[in-house]
Amino acid sequence: MSIVLDVREVWKAYGNLEVLKGVTFDVGEKEVKVVFGPSGSGKSTLLRCINMLNPPDKGEIYLKGKSLMEEGVDLNSMRSRIGMVFQQFNLFSHLKALENVTIGPQKVLGMEKEDAINRAHIALNQVHMMEWIDHYPAQLSGGQQQRIGIARALAMDPDVILFDEPTSALDPELIGEVLQVMLDIAQAGTTMIVVTHEMGFARAVASEMFFMDEGVIVESGTPNHFFTTPENERVKQFLHRLEVLYGGQNTEE
Amino acid sequence: MTGSGNIHGFTLLQYGLVSYFDELAQSFLITMELYIVGLVLGFSIGLTFAIMRQYGGRIFSRIATAYIEVIRGTPLITQVLIIYALPVAINMSGIASLPLDWYYYYLDSQGRIAITLNWPILSSMIGLGINSAAYQAEYLRGAFASITTGQLQAATSIGMTRWQSIRHVVLPQGLRRAIPAWSNEAAYLPKYTVVAIWVGVMEFLNMAKTVVAKTFLSVEVYLIVALTFFVLITLVSRFLEYIHNRTKIPGV
Amino acid sequence: MQERDFSSLLAFIITAGLPATLLLTVAGLGMGFLIGLALALIRVYAEDEIAVIAQAYENVFRGIPVLVLMLLFLVMTGWPALFSAGLALGLRSGAYQSQIMRGAILSVNENQVTAAYALGMDRMQTARFIVLPQAFRLALPGWSNEYAVVTKDTAWAGAIGVLDMVKSVDYLIFENPILYLPAILAVTIIYFVLTYPITRYAGEKMTKRLSSLGLGGNY
Ligand SMILES: Nc1ncnc2c1ncn2[C@@H]1O[C@H](COP(=O)(O)OP(=O)(O)OP(=O)(O)O)[C@@H](O)[C@H]1O
Ligand SMILES: [Mg+2]
Repeated sequence: MSIVLDVREVWKAYGNLEVLKGVTFDVGEKEVKVVFGPSGSGKSTLLRCINMLNPPDKGEIYLKGKSLMEEGVDLNSMRSRIGMVFQQFNLFSHLKALENVTIGPQKVLGMEKEDAINRAHIALNQVHMMEWIDHYPAQLSGGQQQRIGIARALAMDPDVILFDEPTSALDPELIGEVLQVMLDIAQAGTTMIVVTHEMGFARAVASEMFFMDEGVIVESGTPNHFFTTPENERVKQFLHRLEVLYGGQNTEE
Repeated sequence: MTGSGNIHGFTLLQYGLVSYFDELAQSFLITMELYIVGLVLGFSIGLTFAIMRQYGGRIFSRIATAYIEVIRGTPLITQVLIIYALPVAINMSGIASLPLDWYYYYLDSQGRIAITLNWPILSSMIGLGINSAAYQAEYLRGAFASITTGQLQAATSIGMTRWQSIRHVVLPQGLRRAIPAWSNEAAYLPKYTVVAIWVGVMEFLNMAKTVVAKTFLSVEVYLIVALTFFVLITLVSRFLEYIHNRTKIPGV
Repeated sequence: MQERDFSSLLAFIITAGLPATLLLTVAGLGMGFLIGLALALIRVYAEDEIAVIAQAYENVFRGIPVLVLMLLFLVMTGWPALFSAGLALGLRSGAYQSQIMRGAILSVNENQVTAAYALGMDRMQTARFIVLPQAFRLALPGWSNEYAVVTKDTAWAGAIGVLDMVKSVDYLIFENPILYLPAILAVTIIYFVLTYPITRYAGEKMTKRLSSLGLGGNY
């Protein structure tokens, strides 16, 4: 299996605050890696380092063997190969749903309008949003907006998609529709890194899970490992608290 | 010192303009007079309308809204011209006979008559005041509107009447909050005093025009006028900024 | 008989004066738009040293009476009064429109920019396809206000000899001074008709429409 993303010893500080202290992992093709851990542990920072929105201070990041940290690398074209789905959706509010999905292929990949629309239709079908393509983001529910956000990332046909707590801004009754879409695309073979506390989702599709705390990966393993024999005390406590909060692993299926 | 034109220009600047310094200074006083009276008048009327619009009930708030929108929708120049022409029209119509040729003056250092108030000046002041009032009212009302209803409920809960709570709760908080926006209006009002030219007042720019007519140093004179207004406005706005910082209350 | 005098005066105001008023408004706003957009982009995106120049431009043109600007351009360029007046209105409106546009650009939500970068857009593409389209919409209420300001300020042009609506009243008034007040009132009403519906529409309808698009002010 070929490595899509290779993250080596990534360090990042904001001023005096060390947020990432040497994070290392890799993601193979069609793998889904789930990152979880307490608030402030550096999960979002890790994702923003990976697509160089906040470049790391130290370390190496390779996308299909090509370094993102090298001098003179075309970051914009590298970023176009890394999809991102945001906690707050971040849809372009002046564009209709369809335009939100076509703008990347058209303006960044330089596709003809027609081709971009074709590609957008495929992505929108995958997230079951074809009926809503003429709506502005403000006219859509949070769950619908997030599905457009996922379609926007899919339409770029990226090597990997990063999800930053994609369901944590949603009302409970809307979480399911987004998780279902994520499950579908994961099973269809999309390479993904997902920051989430939805353990049901993790259990269903994660090839590996990382528990992050204070800027390092404290423990990693399969979902089965985490749900049966977690080692680290902090991991146990954290999983226990999640269970109390969300009522176990029943969020999906 | 090569071309005689240079020397000529230099002497004109030296002696030509300096000899008009007195007149320009005097006319600048008229400009300041227009500014200050206009500002104070505008504040009084503006505050009244702001309170009417925010707390006056349906009828008063309608009246205040209409006033503000009509004034803001029409040019200052025609407002001043209307006020200026009103008594003239009344006299012409024969309804009444209003005296319009009165004036107050003082004698300047050279014994010349310097008029400080007459109908053209007064009508300009009224026009500036009425006009500025509409803008000031909007800034004040915005500040009043930002005071939470909780503050008013608290005032009512300790037994204050509506007027008392406006007087003791809304005004002290609202006026302070209005300072930044209000400062903008206050600092830029000097620009609009030149409207008095339209009714023949010898304010700063009008005097500058007569100096231009006599010296032909048009660019120099108008640049001086521009610079004077720019400096005045910058100073006033710096000053108000300073006041604002001095009167800050934590959390307000 | 007086009736007919007034209506012929009104006709003169509209045929002789209104064109200059409208022309100056369009010219001032159009020129101000280009200058304002350029200044705003400079203030937001350019290096500090250059941005300071743009800010100085704003301060200077906001701190000088528009009539003084008109007079200055008149004596400096020797152009016809109409051109000088238009130039003064345009340069000054540029200073105000820069502030409007800059405020609008800055109020475009940061996460819109993040999302654009994450798609792989460069700075130019992000500005062109995401930030500016949103900023133009956010600036609409401010622009409608600026339209009213420029329209009203065209009246200053009469003081340097442009035959606009206010000035046109002077032309006929010697014959019939009693009509002065009604004529000025009529001019005032025409100004109100020109400005109020547009500011009202933009003020209310646009704000509503904007917030329905999630583009409202404080979001
Ligand atoms: N732009 C920034 N400037 C300064 N500090 C920041 C910045 N972004 C994040 N931080 C800090 O870095 C730390 C890690 O933040 P990060 O957002 O990566 O955490 P997280 O694990 O995603 O948390 P959450 O679960 O709350 O989203 C926090 O202490 C945060 O306050
Ligand atoms: Mg986060």
